[in-house]
Amino acid sequence: MGVSELIFYILAATIIGNAVLAVTSRKIFRSAIYLLFSLIGIAGLYFYMNYEFIAAVQVVVYVGGIVVLIIFSIFLTHEAGNDMKKPSLLRAILAGLASLGAMALVLWTLQMECFMPSDAAAVEPSVNNIGRQMLSTTEHGYLLPFEVVSILLLAAMIGCIVIAIKTRQKA
Amino acid sequence: MGSEVFILMKSEWALMGIIFLLLFLKVTETIKDNTALFRLTNVLLLLNFVFGFFCNSKGELFSGMYITNDVLVLEKNILNFGTLLISLLSCEWTKTHKNLAEFYILLLSTLLGMFYMLSANHFLMFYLGLELSTIPLAALANFDQDKVKSSEAAVKMALSSAFASGVTLFGISMVYGSMGTLNFAEVPELLNWGPLQIMAFLFLFAGFAFKLSAVPFHLWTADVYEGSPVPVTAYLSVISKGAMVFVLLNVLYNVFRGYEGIWFQVLFITIIVTIIVGNLFALRQENIKRFLAFSSIAQVGYILLGICSGNAGGAAATLYFIIVYIFSNLGAFTVVALVSAKTGKENINDYRGFYASNPALGWVMALSLFSLAGVPPTAGFFGKMFLVTAGASTGSYILVSIAALNMVVSLYYYLRVVKAMFVEKSDAPIEKLSFGMAPKVAMAICVIGIVTIGFAGCLLEYITNLFQ
Repeated sequence: MGVSELIFYILAATIIGNAVLAVTSRKIFRSAIYLLFSLIGIAGLYFYMNYEFIAAVQVVVYVGGIVVLIIFSIFLTHEAGNDMKKPSLLRAILAGLASLGAMALVLWTLQMECFMPSDAAAVEPSVNNIGRQMLSTTEHGYLLPFEVVSILLLAAMIGCIVIAIKTRQKA
Repeated sequence: MGSEVFILMKSEWALMGIIFLLLFLKVTETIKDNTALFRLTNVLLLLNFVFGFFCNSKGELFSGMYITNDVLVLEKNILNFGTLLISLLSCEWTKTHKNLAEFYILLLSTLLGMFYMLSANHFLMFYLGLELSTIPLAALANFDQDKVKSSEAAVKMALSSAFASGVTLFGISMVYGSMGTLNFAEVPELLNWGPLQIMAFLFLFAGFAFKLSAVPFHLWTADVYEGSPVPVTAYLSVISKGAMVFVLLNVLYNVFRGYEGIWFQVLFITIIVTIIVGNLFALRQENIKRFLAFSSIAQVGYILLGICSGNAGGAAATLYFIIVYIFSNLGAFTVVALVSAKTGKENINDYRGFYASNPALGWVMALSLFSLAGVPPTAGFFGKMFLVTAGASTGSYILVSIAALNMVVSLYYYLRVVKAMFVEKSDAPIEKLSFGMAPKVAMAICVIGIVTIGFAGCLLEYITNLFQ
């Protein structure tokens, strides 16, 4: 086993271990922190594959944005210090079986599939190229999805404001 | 490119124009009066609907990411029309609401998302359209701001649709993993019956089934329909569903055509469970919105029956039924919206003696329910007949006989409401309702549609020609 493979397995163990802890922990605040480490592990996986831009986005959006948001909402809504209810044994067993079954299914599918190598020319995943493609209208250009995303964000913001106004009027 | 961007994407541009005009009016606070804003928006929606019939052409944009053709134009016109009707029927509800401009902005954003989803020729565009047509709807479900149930509906909708999007996205990533492309046009050549692709298809279908609220992905439906304001419920049950049916038609018939053997089996099971569960649960509902929710689940079963035939006739029957369904369901929702906005009553028992006090509304409701049940000579009868005929062309008589038997069951619960309105007496019936022009127009259009569309053979002929 080379060093490269070793790094991969360390990253994989970090991701899976923290994900399992996030689900099984009975303190909701700790779950959020385990999730944070799991997401950092995924960012590491992107670095491992030399996708620097995606790795950076992963850190900025998930680690910096989403987890902070989750922690904020825990503080706002939940009694963060209390333990959550212990799930019943039957539930735990069923959930475990369902997860194992799903994992077995995915593994089996991936084993059975023969992946075809792509014949398209490789593109350097640099920020330059990604930026150009995102705003280009030619082949493999993503201008239209980019603009649709902006409308989606606008609509989401308006929706949030409408919901938020309500609490202010009530108070 | 050049002027093509404006000509081919004209329905999207028109909608975006209305959205940004409303946003501008809201930000500058030009119109403070709800009635004026309501009128203005409806005029704009009417213009938008009429504009849909002109300057249509076919072609593709953005290197095949966006396509348009005659079928898509017709589908967009149908959705425009349904949205206009919903806007008209929500008249009484809008009068009291503080954030009317935002209501329309969000509503039209979701419609825009559906348009992009319909015209998508690329999984990325499909997914973004799906999100744009779902996320603002969750905010809309929360629009009855003083009701807890409305917030509950919004949270349920947001969480369960996020889960469904996750499933769909997982399916899309498997498509990309096994084919190396996300373009719809390239997929048919790359189908290889490998397990990964089949699983990808199943995940995608689960996402569709969720949005269509087909059983076993229907659990969110009743709660969300009950908690949302009536116009949003109507929109969810007609427009949102209709758009999803159109996209499913496209995806099954054009993208995954090679997997017809698989999707027929999947649809076979889904149809049987959906029709039976939808009907059985509709039997025992007391709240009229929950009742219409389960009735709409059962209707989806019939729509899928048309789709599963896999031929042009089935596609035409499905499209035709969606038009019929818009008239019938919105007819019923107009009455429900009026009663709910004026009296706040939403139970079937509250409708006792409704005919005595509001004969006209009683008749509209009865006609719509007859059409939903498929009683001749209403349009619903013809719609269902074409769907079942299309289903019979697959040669699967189990499917057709189950569908036919369930129509009889559905007659019972639709007639239960009619009986409550016409026969039963009540100590405190709903008093005579007075309402404005807009709901009257909406009801008149629905009634005319229900009565005449069944006999307008040219419509089905026109649709069938489009698919050939």
